[in-house]
Amino acid sequence: MIDKDVIMIETKDLKKSFGGLEVLKGISEVVYKGEVVSVIGPSGGGKSTFLRCLNLLEEPTGGEVYFEGEKLDPKSTNLDLHRQKIGMVFQQFNVFPHMTVLNNVTVAPILEKGLSKEEAEKRAMDLLKTVGLEDKANEYPRKLSGGQKQRLAIVRAMAMDPDVMLFDEPTSALDPEMVKGVLEVIQHLVETGMTCVIVTHEMGFARKVSDRVLFIDGGIVVESGTPDELFDHPQNPRTQEFLSQVL
Amino acid sequence: MGASIIDVLVEYWPIFLKGTIGTLKYAFIAVSLGTILGAFIALARLSKNKILRDVSGVFVTVIRGTPLLVQMYIFYYFLPMAFPVLNKIDKVYTVLMSLILNSSAYVAEIIRGGINSVDPGQTEAARSLGMTAKHTMTKIILPQAVKNILPALANEYIAMIKETSMAGSFMLYELMYTRTILANKFLVWQPLFIIAGIYLVLTMVLSTGVRWMERRFSVSD
Repeated sequence: MIDKDVIMIETKDLKKSFGGLEVLKGISEVVYKGEVVSVIGPSGGGKSTFLRCLNLLEEPTGGEVYFEGEKLDPKSTNLDLHRQKIGMVFQQFNVFPHMTVLNNVTVAPILEKGLSKEEAEKRAMDLLKTVGLEDKANEYPRKLSGGQKQRLAIVRAMAMDPDVMLFDEPTSALDPEMVKGVLEVIQHLVETGMTCVIVTHEMGFARKVSDRVLFIDGGIVVESGTPDELFDHPQNPRTQEFLSQVL
Repeated sequence: MGASIIDVLVEYWPIFLKGTIGTLKYAFIAVSLGTILGAFIALARLSKNKILRDVSGVFVTVIRGTPLLVQMYIFYYFLPMAFPVLNKIDKVYTVLMSLILNSSAYVAEIIRGGINSVDPGQTEAARSLGMTAKHTMTKIILPQAVKNILPALANEYIAMIKETSMAGSFMLYELMYTRTILANKFLVWQPLFIIAGIYLVLTMVLSTGVRWMERRFSVSD
């Protein structure tokens, strides 16, 4: 359920340049608690950069990002605390190869939240069960398939008990037969009411799970709306052109 | 020609043994203390602080861009002149200091390279979980960098074994210094071949060890 009284993430005139290249040209958006926002658009249009600015993995060159009402400041030590509440899942999984599956999940809760090893492992095992990885707990990630790695990455983020989850093209690096399992895990998360921002090329999935879809191209939000509005009745010619190519 | 190589080796083997131990010892001291110092220099090189970055960068450039022998002369002659307090300590230590400093610059680059070789996605994943910069470095990056760093460090030790030969000119009792001792007994050419042979055996044995270590690490990928 979307709770329009609680703003989870807000960006104000968010800008980002790399060298002389302006990738984000001023994006002002609001994500409410419980809302699922999908971000679609052509490669190089700025959608991943937008997502990476939401937890300041990419430092904006202009504008502001607010999380749960507080401005995110790259110089503040509080940033780490805020990031604990903002889970992120990457295209390339980025699981920790030198740690077992279980330790991948427990390392951050133990170090940063002060959980005891027993408590962290118990919670990790519960989470691993929900994605069918409990029997891999003592394996190293190199033994996992791409789909399993991504499910591990999702569980690792969930172990910090985040208030929002960011997904950066979570299925783009997967073999086709692995995509479904990962999307099911994300959908399950959505059904629990988790606030999600999902950058994706999976149009069918975006349509199914989203409350709202943003079409980002050329560093701006060209168009946004409910899945029905955006996919069935796109207003902007650029949106129409993009959708005609991918659908 | 005088005595044969075998004759010299049989008669003076304790001197060569002592020299070999000295070489291994000084190289080990230089590389291990150089590693500690080099680790800090590497962190300074990777720091967000521009001054730290620049100062450490200049240090590495100067040390790696000038011959070790020149550095040794500066440590041996100039530093005690500039800082008379250094006259109170054994000259061995000033020469050793130049070896450590020299090694630290090379080790700093080894460590920096090892850290940079870890996929940036690892840092991003750790930071996105809310892990602090320190925990990200100690728990995520360094454990993965070590696999690249250790074989390179071992190679640095092998290189240092050869480079300590210059310290013999400054009265450090290492392998090359045995040449000076035996030259006083009018044995000029035989010790050179014995010394060369010992260096060769040392570096070959250790290189084999490094290759074994590299194979072990690549298996764990």
